[in-house]
Amino acid sequence: MPGAIGNCSGIPVGSEDKILKGKNPYPGFHSTAMRMPAPHIRHVLNLYPGPGKTTPHGQVQGMDPLIETHDLSKQFGDTTAVDHVTLFVKKGALFGLLGPNGSGKTTMIRMLTGQTRPGSGTASVLGIDVVKDPVGVRERVGIIPEQETPPSFLTSMEYLKFVAAVRKIPDLETKAEWWFDFLDFADKKHVLCKDLSRGTRQKLMFTQAFIHEPELALIDEPLINFDPIVQDLVKEYLAEYVKKGKTIFLSTHILEVAEEICSEFAVLHKGTLLHTGPVAELKARGEHLPSFFLSLVRKDRHV
Amino acid sequence: MFELFTNMVKEEWRVHSTMFGSLSFALFPVMIFGIAFMGSFLLPLMRTTLPAGNLTLIVHANYLMLGLMVGGFGLLGNEVMNRRFGQASLLAYSARSLPLSEKFIFLNFVIKDTVYYFFLWVLPFGFGYVLASPFTGVSLTGALLLLLTLTLSFLFGLCGVFFLSAVYARSRPVLWLVLLAVCLGTGGLAALTGMNPVLFFPPLLLNDAFTWVNFLISCVILALLFGVAISLFNPESVGSEKMYRDAFTPLMQRFSFLPNPPLAAKDTLDLYRSGSLVGQTIFSFLLPLAVIWFFLSLLDPFFPPHGLLFIVAVTTGVIASTMYTWVTMFDTFGPYACLPVAVSTLIASKLTTFAVLQVIPAIFIMAVSILSGEVVYLIPAVVLGISVSFYAVGIMAWLCGLSPNVLVYDVKVLFVYLILVGIVLAIFTAIAFANPYFALSSAILVIPTWLLVKKAKVRWDTVDPEGF
Repeated sequence: MPGAIGNCSGIPVGSEDKILKGKNPYPGFHSTAMRMPAPHIRHVLNLYPGPGKTTPHGQVQGMDPLIETHDLSKQFGDTTAVDHVTLFVKKGALFGLLGPNGSGKTTMIRMLTGQTRPGSGTASVLGIDVVKDPVGVRERVGIIPEQETPPSFLTSMEYLKFVAAVRKIPDLETKAEWWFDFLDFADKKHVLCKDLSRGTRQKLMFTQAFIHEPELALIDEPLINFDPIVQDLVKEYLAEYVKKGKTIFLSTHILEVAEEICSEFAVLHKGTLLHTGPVAELKARGEHLPSFFLSLVRKDRHV
Repeated sequence: MFELFTNMVKEEWRVHSTMFGSLSFALFPVMIFGIAFMGSFLLPLMRTTLPAGNLTLIVHANYLMLGLMVGGFGLLGNEVMNRRFGQASLLAYSARSLPLSEKFIFLNFVIKDTVYYFFLWVLPFGFGYVLASPFTGVSLTGALLLLLTLTLSFLFGLCGVFFLSAVYARSRPVLWLVLLAVCLGTGGLAALTGMNPVLFFPPLLLNDAFTWVNFLISCVILALLFGVAISLFNPESVGSEKMYRDAFTPLMQRFSFLPNPPLAAKDTLDLYRSGSLVGQTIFSFLLPLAVIWFFLSLLDPFFPPHGLLFIVAVTTGVIASTMYTWVTMFDTFGPYACLPVAVSTLIASKLTTFAVLQVIPAIFIMAVSILSGEVVYLIPAVVLGISVSFYAVGIMAWLCGLSPNVLVYDVKVLFVYLILVGIVLAIFTAIAFANPYFALSSAILVIPTWLLVKKAKVRWDTVDPEGF
């Protein structure tokens, strides 16, 4: 009953009808995404992968992690952005890296995607060493950088064609049309990127990160420029994405979003990893992620 | 206004000094001073072969050219601020958060850049010459006058191109009318007086015989050019959404023979849609070279036979190598950071686009050969010019990677660049002077160029790509 679903997820009735029109290049996505219960119900139903048995760093025993860092550090002059972080992210997780401004989240993502070389320690993504083969990592993942930076003098459609050509994505036109409809910016497909609003640029960057359906997406503050309707669409998309066996590494400081959609989380403060574990475990203790996060960070500030 | 200006200067300083250290950047004008100071000691030697007036002419031409090459604010205005600094990251974009008009901020931006270039290039050079004057037999007043007229020469170049590019940004037909008027004016002057119109260049007249009236006339002309250019500046209209049909796919198909068709297609669209291709070709290439050619033609009697053509070819090669900055100046690694593209791939693609652009200097050198009645030396001249251009760009790519516009102000980088390019220029100019056909030997420069590009790719893949 599409109308009812639209209402409960905050999407105006009718918008999903538009989305469902035409050829869907991502079979299985809409049929389930549009029928998903509202976010608060989803937690009760526990649709996410189970927490499993984890080590103190979040490593799942008996399962090869998709992201693995050991003593990863990065310094910029006298500032330590990331300080000996050891972290494991398993397949199928919607992993939230949480932390206040300047805690090192973006530097972590930049190191994991080969944009910045670690000062010390090791990191591998999908089994690829990020220092030895940064392009190999970027080939297999999707990335949304901290700042949306589509090239100024290409139109939205041209940019997606550019991405498709670089990534060798087949059937681009159909996929691009699907995304233009899904995120509701089809009217901007022939507008130069420099003339797009910040929100539309973010939609474009979101599209380029997921258009090739990577097995792992590393996304930095993906919701920050979206209006509430698009935020809801995107949250549902992400939840659905990990259900298909894909993995998402999300950096954010919006704790409510992390609590709502993440299955696992880690807290980074002043470059140091303070905690990592499943969200469900926290909930089982009757704790809420925002209050847990705040007490953890405040305690660390006094240390 | 002054507060905004000083903060912009601070920002500019920090942009450069964070890239390669405050000391390295601070040493840049010191090096220019050193070159001028040491060079001044060669004056007595040079005077034996070249009259003092002609030396003055060369130095003024160089400063005019420097002004011409940095004066494209009117053309690039919004885009330079947008893409060089990133939106809202610097004061250049504070119009969005402060009660200041974009035109006012742009005025400050232009004045800041002018003052910056003045302190980086013009003043250190003039100061070196002035300080050396007691040892070189040049009177102190003569040296100070030269400093003044060189400054004016630089400002004439800067304001002239600023004015023309501002007209170009508003209306191309009007630009052609203005250029036609300038050509007719200088042609008429030459016909009336029977003298090379370059000799009527106000700073040269002033250097020849200083009068307050001539000085005031120069200042008024500069103020007019600058004022009109600023008033013509059109702030970016926020919210304008012009639609474009897909030009990327056909371009990519057309470039399928190149190593990275999508990157080449993107570069081409960048150059075309930003207006840089035509604008830069006119204001950063043809105009400075035409001026240099005019000035150098006055020195023809002092060159060996056919020497002028090869001097122009070599100069064209050096200027043509700066086309690498056209394809890198607006583009940071940012848009590529989320794609499987290495810095080395990007360098290779920029060099490919650069190679395609070399058609422009080749045509220019051909035109000079034909117009100067030396078509017989067309091929050696083109080979020399293009070889020098590729060699210089190889050095630029090796030293600066994707940031030649910024790293050129690192004194170590500039020093190495000047030495490596200077030696090769001296060798091949001498060879071409000895026998014009020997200039063909410059094709051998393809070997060091290839090695330099190879080294550049390895070097810049191991450095964190910064957003400059």
